[in-house]
Parts: sequence; C-alpha cells; structure tokens
Amino acid sequence: MKILVCLKQVPHQDARLDVNADGTWITEDNIKFEINNYDTYALEEALRTKDAGEAEVVVVSIGPDRVTQALRTALGMGADRAVHVKDPEMDGSDVLGIAKALAAVAKEEAPDLILMGMMGDDGNFAAVGPMLAELHGVPHATAVVKCEKKNGGYEVERELEGGALQVYQLPTPCLLGVQTGINQVRYASLKGIMAAKKKPFAVKTAADLGLAGQVGAAGAKMSIEKVYVPPKGEGAEMIEGSAADVAQALVGKIRELGLL
Amino acid sequence: MGSILIVAEIQKGAIRDASYELVSFAHKIAGGREIKSLVLGSGVAGQAEALAKRGGGEVLVADSEALANYNVDGYAKAIRAAVDATSAELILMSNTPTGWDIAPRIAAGLDCGFVSDCFNIEEEDGKLVYYRRVFNGKLDARLIPKADQILATVQPGATTPFEESSDGSTTALDVTIGDDDLRAKFVESRTAGAKGVDLTKADIIIAGGRGLGAAEKFEEVIKPLAEILGGAMGASRPVVDAGWLDHAYQVGSSGQVVSPKLYIAAGISGAIQHLVGMKSANFIVAINKDPDAPIFEVAHVGVAGDLFEIVPALTAAIQEAKG
Repeated sequence: MKILVCLKQVPHQDARLDVNADGTWITEDNIKFEINNYDTYALEEALRTKDAGEAEVVVVSIGPDRVTQALRTALGMGADRAVHVKDPEMDGSDVLGIAKALAAVAKEEAPDLILMGMMGDDGNFAAVGPMLAELHGVPHATAVVKCEKKNGGYEVERELEGGALQVYQLPTPCLLGVQTGINQVRYASLKGIMAAKKKPFAVKTAADLGLAGQVGAAGAKMSIEKVYVPPKGEGAEMIEGSAADVAQALVGKIRELGLL
Repeated sequence: MGSILIVAEIQKGAIRDASYELVSFAHKIAGGREIKSLVLGSGVAGQAEALAKRGGGEVLVADSEALANYNVDGYAKAIRAAVDATSAELILMSNTPTGWDIAPRIAAGLDCGFVSDCFNIEEEDGKLVYYRRVFNGKLDARLIPKADQILATVQPGATTPFEESSDGSTTALDVTIGDDDLRAKFVESRTAGAKGVDLTKADIIIAGGRGLGAAEKFEEVIKPLAEILGGAMGASRPVVDAGWLDHAYQVGSSGQVVSPKLYIAAGISGAIQHLVGMKSANFIVAINKDPDAPIFEVAHVGVAGDLFEIVPALTAAIQEAKG
C-alpha cells in the first residue's frame, strides 16, 4: 500500500518570534525550523504501518529551500520517497491554496491513505486536512487519537471535548488528521540519516502540478493582513527576587486565600 | 445581499451556548443581511423551535435518522443544501470537534474564503474583518476576505450567548440523507480512560507542563508541592502526549475543565487549549521562564523564573509555614 504523509516545516516550538518589518508575519531570520509537531505523529503512524508490513511512505512538503531539511529528516526516519513543492508562486497561499497543491500531488500519487497532523503549530488553522480530503474526493476524520487497520479500512477514534471519543469505520482510500500523542515519535538513526541521502527526492513547481492562478497570494481568498503581539491586559502581578523571596510572597498569597 | 447562515449544534439535547454565541456575532455584523440557521440531527424539531425564538431567524431543519450521530458526509450534504437554499454569503460555525472536522471540508467544496477559530469579527469600513490567534496564542492575527463567500468558525466562549427572544420560523430543509450517503460509519462513543483522578473536585491543583522536561520531574518537583498543600497534580497536554502522565491528569479542552480555589501552573506556556481548561480558577499562579508566555495573561500572580528553583523553594517555605 502507499501512504502519503503531508508535512509542514514550522519555526521551532521554542523559537523566539519577532513580527517582521511590515507586520505581515514573523521574521524567519535567525530562527530554527522543524517538522510541525502534529505532523511528526502522522509520519510516525505511517512508519509503524510500514514496519508492520508492505507500505511505501511518501512524504510531501511545500516551501522554500529550507524545507529540504525537513524532508531529509523524514527520509532519515524511514520514509521512502520525498516530494518537495518548491515555487515562489506558492508564497502567500491561503489554506485552500495549500490544499489544492497537495491535492495535485495526491492525484499523481493515488495513495491508499493520506496522513497529516490536524493543525500546524504556526497558523493553527487546522484546515488543510479536511480541505484536501474534499478536493481529493476521499472520506476523512480529524483529531484522530487511535487508528487501526480493520474490516478492509480503518477504525479510528476521534477526540471530542472533555475526554470523550467517537469511533468510526472509514473505507480506504481516506485521509486522517492526526492528534498529538497518538504514538511516540521515533528519532532518525544515524544509519537512517545516511541512507536518506540516496532516497528519491523530487522537486515540483506550481506549473508542474497545473496550479496556475489557483495558489499564492493571487489565488488567496482569505488574507492575513497583519500579525501583532496581543495587547497585554492587566495580566499577572509579577513577583521578582530570589527564589526564597518569591516563595515567601507566594506563601503570603496562599495564606490570604485561607488555604494554609 | 446574501444571507448569514448559522450552523447550530446540539449538545445534551439542547442548542449549545457556542451556537447562541454565533447568533450574537451574526446580529452584531448583520448589516442588513438576513440571518438564517440550520439545525441538523434526528428528532430535532424542538431545538429548531427554540433557536427560532432566540435569534436564529429562519431556521432550516435537516431531520434524518442518518444524522443521529455526527457524520462527515451526512452533515456535508445537509450544510451544502442549506448554503444553496439560503444563498449564504457568510456561513458561521463554532470551532468545536464538529466544526474543526467539517467546516474546512465545506469551504473547500464551496471554493470560498475560510478562517477558523476567530475570537472576534468586526465590521470595519463596510467590510468584515476576522481576528484569531496564531503560534499557539503567542500572536494575534487580523484577516481580511478576498472572496464574496466566507465560511468562518468561531472560538467557543468568544462572546456571550444571544439572550433575546425573537420571531423566527422553522422550515424543513429540502434534502434527503440516507445511510447510503455515508462513507464512514459511526461505531460507538467511548471515553478516554480517566480513572480515579477527578480534578474537578480538587480545591488546589498544581499543574506541570513541558517545562518539567521529564516524567521523573513530576515526582521530584510537582508532587511534593501538591502533597504539602493537600492538592492534586495536573498536567498540560504535551506532558500526556509524551507519556509522562496518564490522560487522567490532563487539564484542558480535551481533558478536564477545572475551577479550583488555587491553580499553580509550572512550566506551562498557556496555549488556548490549556487556558480553556483552567482560566476560571479562582486564583492562578504561573511560573515560567518566558516572561511573554500567554499564561501570564490569565494568571493573577506570575513568576518569570526557573521552576526548578521556585517550586522547591515554595514547597520548603510552605513546610516551614506549617511548622
């Protein structure tokens, strides 16, 4: 079987974020990038399926040169083949534009299963998965916390609020948007990283995928006009000083609450 | 002018508060557009009536046994039919498990503009502007539409539920949905095995986050403070994802929502999903080495410092105070 895993490269989760000069996004200078945390769980789920039997795992990601590193990491972890959609025409795409590009790749690949994280740690839109499923014409489920091959398809648990779960049986092909914690993500071994260098790596442009006019800022139907540091409300009363001073101040507060 | 279509949700047999919050937003930004709603499910005539009497406008009803449980294909068919029937130019849904699952799919099918998890929508100079958070709550974003039809999901709790009574109407939506339409099959409902740890009853909760760094640190650092205060231990999602603590300890939108007398958060940045779970606590103390962590916006008292120094010092100081 073939599994297509869609990955996004995002700023490292501990990166210091500074708004860029025109206030339209964060500045990418001098920050580290990594594979989106949610997507690492999707990749791990695909690799476990591969470990258990015959499966080809293809990873795809959209973005500039730096995305090469994310794809190489995925290959190092065990994916078989990478597709990098690299084209300045993709710049400024909204979530629908991204989904259209991925749908073009999915059409070429015709996977049995598409896996991706349910949201990106940068935009937090949680949109591309269900959009891709619609464009590609397959059933989907998101917030998937468990997925098991069963009855010719997949039985999945999807997470609701407050610890509640719903269980669905999906046919293949389908798309699953995975929640964090569905598994424990592996590290790339040194052997894996060395082997990755020889694995097939394709680079595609928007034109290769037939996306003229549908992607990028030109094709976007919703635009992020600006990002900014949220106006601080009153916020917390900040206590300063040595650990001992702070501890004494907190003891005072806890006493005032009548809890000591 | 196209209409505003509110896709309402039913929870525990009634239209949920988040849906009445959509009604509030719709009334705020209507600007002459007609407000219409969709209620879907099985045996939902009563809920549709209630919504019609409380700001829902013309309420379309998709009532079918095939809609008894949430199902992507069933809901998509009903919502698309409602969008067509109402010539909706703005479709509003809540960012709930149903919303985040189906709304983007509907938007892709409509080829319209999409924005999720808005905490505000404003009319500015005759156009609608959407506000939401990015980078897990560290920054805010302002979005403007570039299309005539928009689907927006709104964060539950972003505004107050609509309270006024109004004259609305209910009409059956002309759509047939049968089991054959549904590619995915609902199997059953389950609960994540939260055994024995009921944080909703704790007066004091000491919660640790990713900043603790390892499972053992909960035993070494968080547990002693919880014990000396007679409180319970809690955790943010990343801690549970990493397998350091069981899901039973998770505080947040997909864990337990708590409002204790005292909530101490150590090494927790304050992502939205966590804040939803604890922001109504009576008194919140936050300890985090990042002074810009979003948790400090909801905390009453904050310490921008090293939890590995502060928390043990606090444990020791309480020990001494107790004598």
